[in-house]
Amino acid sequence: MLAIQTRGLAKTYPGRPPVVALRPLDLQVEPGELFGLLGPNGAGKTTLVKLLLGIVHPSEGTATLFGTSIRQPEARRTVGFLPENHRFPGYLTARQTLSLFARMAGHDDSRTDRLLDRVRLADAADRKVKTFSKGMMQRLGIAQALMSDPRLVFLDEPTDGVDPVGRREIRDLLLELAAEGVTLFLNSHLLSEIERVCTRVAILKEGELVRDGTVASLTETGRAWRLRSTPIAAPVADALGATLLPAPGGPTGDLAGYTLHADDRRALNDALDHLRTHGVEVESVEPLRQSLEDLFVEVVSAPGASSD
Amino acid sequence: MLGVFLLTLRELRAKWIVVGLFVVATLIWATMALALQLDVVDGSLAGARLFGQEAEMGPPPEDAEQAPARDDALADSTAAAQAGGEEPGFPFGASLLESVVFGAQAFVAGAAYWVGILLALFATGGLIASLQTRGEIDLLLSKPLSRSAILGGRLAGVAAATLALVTYLIGAVWLVMSLKSGLWNPRFLLAIPVIWSMFLVLYGVVTLVSVWTGSSALSLMVVLALLFASLVLAIPELETQIAAGWRPLVVGLRHALPRFPSVGVQLVPQLATGEPVGALGAFASSLGIGGGLYALAFWRFSRRDF
Repeated sequence: MLAIQTRGLAKTYPGRPPVVALRPLDLQVEPGELFGLLGPNGAGKTTLVKLLLGIVHPSEGTATLFGTSIRQPEARRTVGFLPENHRFPGYLTARQTLSLFARMAGHDDSRTDRLLDRVRLADAADRKVKTFSKGMMQRLGIAQALMSDPRLVFLDEPTDGVDPVGRREIRDLLLELAAEGVTLFLNSHLLSEIERVCTRVAILKEGELVRDGTVASLTETGRAWRLRSTPIAAPVADALGATLLPAPGGPTGDLAGYTLHADDRRALNDALDHLRTHGVEVESVEPLRQSLEDLFVEVVSAPGASSD
Repeated sequence: MLGVFLLTLRELRAKWIVVGLFVVATLIWATMALALQLDVVDGSLAGARLFGQEAEMGPPPEDAEQAPARDDALADSTAAAQAGGEEPGFPFGASLLESVVFGAQAFVAGAAYWVGILLALFATGGLIASLQTRGEIDLLLSKPLSRSAILGGRLAGVAAATLALVTYLIGAVWLVMSLKSGLWNPRFLLAIPVIWSMFLVLYGVVTLVSVWTGSSALSLMVVLALLFASLVLAIPELETQIAAGWRPLVVGLRHALPRFPSVGVQLVPQLATGEPVGALGAFASSLGIGGGLYALAFWRFSRRDF
């Protein structure tokens, strides 16, 4: 059973003129997947999350969470959510906050202490929330999202306002959750965070899904490889059936780095055979990837794009 | 729903204005307890002073066996006076003591109605709008709760807190006055559900406007405007004083708006003084309008995007 499935899910906000926030979207997220949602401001990311959580009503289409329609409150029984800019009542302590939200989720508060410990708030358990820093509030928000022992967690900018150490702790926590089989739906502007945590990424642009795939497949440039080998003499390189360019940085020790462009895998292997025939020793060959940030800029700057 | 209910109670407790209302209620009944001085002679009530003013007593019962319940005696004497066409000597009862005690109770009930309801509206008016604040409503809606349970939990919290407040004030005043005077008028306690219900009717306006616009300030302004309009509409001569073309509008508005003044001027004092109860139609129509306001508010809340 899919963790998330949408069929033609769309949202248009009424007004003059109406605002198309999300165009008909078909999306499937498998249980245990670490799914990252990217897109520029106004792309429809938050609208999609709100639609899936019943905060916003769809204009058309359907969606399910673990097979239950999002129109039913029961669909959110095993779902956790950390909204962006969440507000907890300042007059409550951290412990009272978790206890109340656990009750609202239909659970007892037996996990409170364990979760406070897990997000490093055990020492502040009985402090009023209004005295918390932004980072502490964010960690409390994550603990709140985990109170219902969820199978699916939506996180909207989970590391927003958190210092680098705290950011790493949150990242480690998310990876722990992933190891426990929890499905993560991460919405973040920090592309490096998404790149480090998520296994699959979708990019929304103007309410439309323009890229969807694994991080590895999306960042692969295709037809280019990074080659580390013993230095290649110019005549040998010139005789290659592929383009060979020195990689930035120059040689290290007895090895040098190159970028090898070949039309396909066969051309790549022919080139490697040619190099070995001429006494070149190959240390490693790996597909050349662009960073997620490069991909993101490329996609959102392009006039149009299609889903992979 | 219980979680939202408890959250609302905690929020109300955190708002000092609600605590302040309980303090004011305490001051009222404590003042009455201290101000009403009773003179007891041989186990019978022989005289009373309220704020130092002497109150004349009716003839004391000759013996304990002949002493009927005070409220029965009051009802009998009032009925007898009315049947005989006699003008009662005191505005609120057959004796000065009854008049003073029942008058004081009517004053407290009236104050709770006219001033207390307004204060309670100001104290709780922001709760529906704050429920819909971005970051807070997202958290609530992401829980496995229906929207009606969320709004219902919030309203139940407000209703419980205000019921406790009205019960505390009216109940304490009734107990103090009854214990001190020996005049037990349990009908006065019926002012509790009347005052509370009329508060809820007006809170229906706050709820509807807040759900529609998200603005607590606007919701309170609308309530005040509605109260002003209902006061104007309650003027008996209004229909004869305006142009004939406007009369259908006045009649229509009288039926469309809660009849807050009629209930406050007639029903609440009647309950306090033991007089025959009127204005039940105004009360019932106000309740009906309140029900309609809540139905609209729940409908709107269930369809809103946040």
